[in-house]
Amino acid sequence: MSGPVHAALAGDPVLAEHYAAFRAKAESALNPRLVALIRQAIAAVHGMEAAAIDDAALDERTRVCVAYARRIPFEHTAITDPEAASVVAHLGEPGFVAFSVVAALADAECRAGLVDLEGLAGV
Amino acid sequence: MSTIPRVSSAIAGEPAHFGSVLAHQPEISASFFALYGRFWGSDVLAARLKEVARMRNARVTECGFCRNVRFDKAVAQGLGEEVVDDITDGYEASARLTDAEKAVLKFTDALIHDPELLNRDARAALQRHLTPAQIAELGLGVTLFLALAKALITMGLEPDAMERTVLPTPAVLEAAE
Repeated sequence: MSGPVHAALAGDPVLAEHYAAFRAKAESALNPRLVALIRQAIAAVHGMEAAAIDDAALDERTRVCVAYARRIPFEHTAITDPEAASVVAHLGEPGFVAFSVVAALADAECRAGLVDLEGLAGV
Repeated sequence: MSTIPRVSSAIAGEPAHFGSVLAHQPEISASFFALYGRFWGSDVLAARLKEVARMRNARVTECGFCRNVRFDKAVAQGLGEEVVDDITDGYEASARLTDAEKAVLKFTDALIHDPELLNRDARAALQRHLTPAQIAELGLGVTLFLALAKALITMGLEPDAMERTVLPTPAVLEAAE
């Protein structure tokens, strides 16, 4: 497990393990490549170091999901019912639930990194 | 922002809400509630400070559900509505919020809104009032509050209207330990 939140919890291994388990369960419910693309797309929106995604190389289903993920950091209240429905159509309801958790966590983790949570926690 | 659920309930007879929708993914649900119970059960950082951060996130993220829920542990620690009312823009001038709470709010704003807000003075204030272990726990909390709020909103689980509701503070289920 990597990331600023898990790292910051080094002094509380039980809580760190619970956090790692939650993130791992959410991510394991999706295709690993899609998880990587979600995290990559959201990191790029935050201006963090992330390789550019070649949208043209993605299949339609993945392109829809990546476009949706890019809306999470700053436009989550503007996402429309049709946008959400298109992701549900591609992933199914259980997949959409996992996707929503993974994308929201990826956004929050980027933000935790941007405030240097690890440094503040003395790690 | 939609108040029409974009996902159905996975629990027969229950409307779509966070728990019934998350039930589509039982392992995610179980791990989330175990984590959330452990987080709120820890007293490294007082529940009142956690709730101050949660209230701020609810307002900035526009999560109506989060905004109307209160956890009883923080209420018992003196977090009354007159204090919650001050967790709005301009909280820096509040006479009801403590300096530690204002430092927590600035950190929360920085994480959920603009990292530039955590300037040198704000960072020093946070480190003056909280230990590194408390900051780690606060960071986890704000991460979860933000992610939970955004997941709720994007899954269309915002209520049309909701009364203020005091709920038992999430706790670790002994059977899950």
